[in-house]
Amino acid sequence: MEIEVRNITKRFGGFTALSDVSLSVAPGEFVALLGPSGSGKTTLLRIIAGLDFPNQGAVFFDNEDASARHVRERSVGFVFQHYALFRHMTVFENVAFGFRVKPRRARPSKSEIAERVGELLELVQMDGFADRYPSQLSGGQRQRVALARALAIEPRVLLLDEPFGALDAKVRKELRRWLRQLHNRMKLSTIFVTHDQEEALELADRVVVMNRGTIEQTGTPDEVYDQPCSPFVYEFLGNVNRLSCTVRNCKAEIWAANFEVAENCANGEMAGVAYVRPHDIEIFTGRDRLAQPALVRHVSSSGAAAFIELSVEGEPQPIEAEVSRERQRELNLHPGQAVFVAARKARVFVSRPGPA
Amino acid sequence: MTQEIAATRNIHPALSESAPARFILSVTALAFLALFLLLPLTFLFTEALRKGVGAYFAAIVEPDAVAAIRLTLLTAAIAVPVNVVFGLAASWAIAKFEFKGKSLLTTFIDLPFSVSPVISGLVYVLLFGAQGFFGPWLQAHHVAIIFAVPGIVLATVFVTLPFVARELIPLMQEQGTEDEEAALSLGASGWQTFWRVTLPNAKWGLLYGVLLCNARAMGEFGAVSVVSGHIRGVTNTMPLHVEILYNEYNFVAAFAVASLLALLALVTLAAKAMLEWHYGAEIAATRH
Repeated sequence: MEIEVRNITKRFGGFTALSDVSLSVAPGEFVALLGPSGSGKTTLLRIIAGLDFPNQGAVFFDNEDASARHVRERSVGFVFQHYALFRHMTVFENVAFGFRVKPRRARPSKSEIAERVGELLELVQMDGFADRYPSQLSGGQRQRVALARALAIEPRVLLLDEPFGALDAKVRKELRRWLRQLHNRMKLSTIFVTHDQEEALELADRVVVMNRGTIEQTGTPDEVYDQPCSPFVYEFLGNVNRLSCTVRNCKAEIWAANFEVAENCANGEMAGVAYVRPHDIEIFTGRDRLAQPALVRHVSSSGAAAFIELSVEGEPQPIEAEVSRERQRELNLHPGQAVFVAARKARVFVSRPGPA
Repeated sequence: MTQEIAATRNIHPALSESAPARFILSVTALAFLALFLLLPLTFLFTEALRKGVGAYFAAIVEPDAVAAIRLTLLTAAIAVPVNVVFGLAASWAIAKFEFKGKSLLTTFIDLPFSVSPVISGLVYVLLFGAQGFFGPWLQAHHVAIIFAVPGIVLATVFVTLPFVARELIPLMQEQGTEDEEAALSLGASGWQTFWRVTLPNAKWGLLYGVLLCNARAMGEFGAVSVVSGHIRGVTNTMPLHVEILYNEYNFVAAFAVASLLALLALVTLAAKAMLEWHYGAEIAATRH
């Protein structure tokens, strides 16, 4: 189903949680709402579900205004961060809830319900747990039951509010992969909220980055990661080094190399900020081309990459660089070593007009 | 490895006390319990049975005593359901919704606890008594509230008002509204959500509230004493009946009826303990 959010504004007292937000989700699309806490992402999800109501704007499901519809008539599958399983019901009864509360004429028979619940539990790989109570399950299992329960009503759209937020790293990763497979099979329009950039980039077809009640950027994971449109997105997505620089006639010099300024640029001298990803920093042991002198302060490795902390000449903050394990073996970097660095890629934003 | 375990055994856990300290703490607590609870209770039953089982039962089946027992049961039978309805409504409103005057409502619920029961009885006399605010109107329409059964029920309802609500509010607040939201998103109506989700989640708190409310409804003395008028066989509840018998130096009968009230308290406690023992895991699950 197609979901369209048009010009939604939501205020809580004097606080504006969402300010004129518009978003559309194509049928079968998997969209992540990504942002720090307080960015309005959960509020947006709850408004789409009908659990909260906007002060202005409307939500359309397949071009039909859903604003007047109560949450129970929207047929949205909603999955909560803390599962919200009914603790006095078994797993079976939890999943069967959606069938049992249907009006009598629409309600499936007992045997049909048992069959459907069985299928759903199989789908979420929880068959064999039907008679357990939620308190007897692990976090990951509870969330899968919550998902089965949400899917039982054959929702037109699936909304997940930080679904893996309360789980530990390993379970989270497994569940993530499993959810992606499930989505590929079911092709249900899905929106999920997360503050974990890795999760958003790995799972979603499209990432919506939110900040202070507005959408900063929308795009595929590659787009938002490779071409962040604002300093906020740069700092929020992935590790990044932030350098102050001076912009002269739309060009900034960073470590002996010149970089073009993307937008909002006029001739003259202005203060700017440049963002350089750690893996876009090259390290040389000899000065074989234009590069900045630096000193290795610390070397650590995690998995396939080695992280080098550097004091770069002219930079007040330490700079983090990332090189492959192999490259580190070649260079054999060690603390106290004098090296040269250059930025392979950098993105410059004008922070304010006038000289730095 | 084995050496390490042996070594750790000698170290005191951080929160454990030395043996003498534990002994003194337990003995103090148990001594207080014996002195203030066990001793009076034993005395109560020995006094009641002083003249034998025959005299004990005679005091209980005596017509005025039977009338008092009946009135007490009637009062509780009205007060407890009223309390359940009010308690559920108030705690649901307070825990699950935001509205103006919420803190005021919370304060008012506690009012019967903070006001002396005698005063609350007196308020009813001032309102509905012969010289009271509604007195003349009630007399003109031949409605008796004060010195009659309705007054006793009213006073009891007032005094027991907070019990169920006080049990449920913290429980429901802790549980939040996510379960209800989940139920609604699954297509349940408000009514279905209440019966299938909210009420089962709160049932243990509700049960405790009912037990406590019932004990108080049957045992209330102060407020009821003011509005009752002490008409034997008509407006005497069990506690009032005990007082009258005692003032008449009819100790065996007084203690016999009192022992019934004490038994009720013991049964209530036993019921509570049994529920906790039997459904411990489930109660813990609903409170998590």
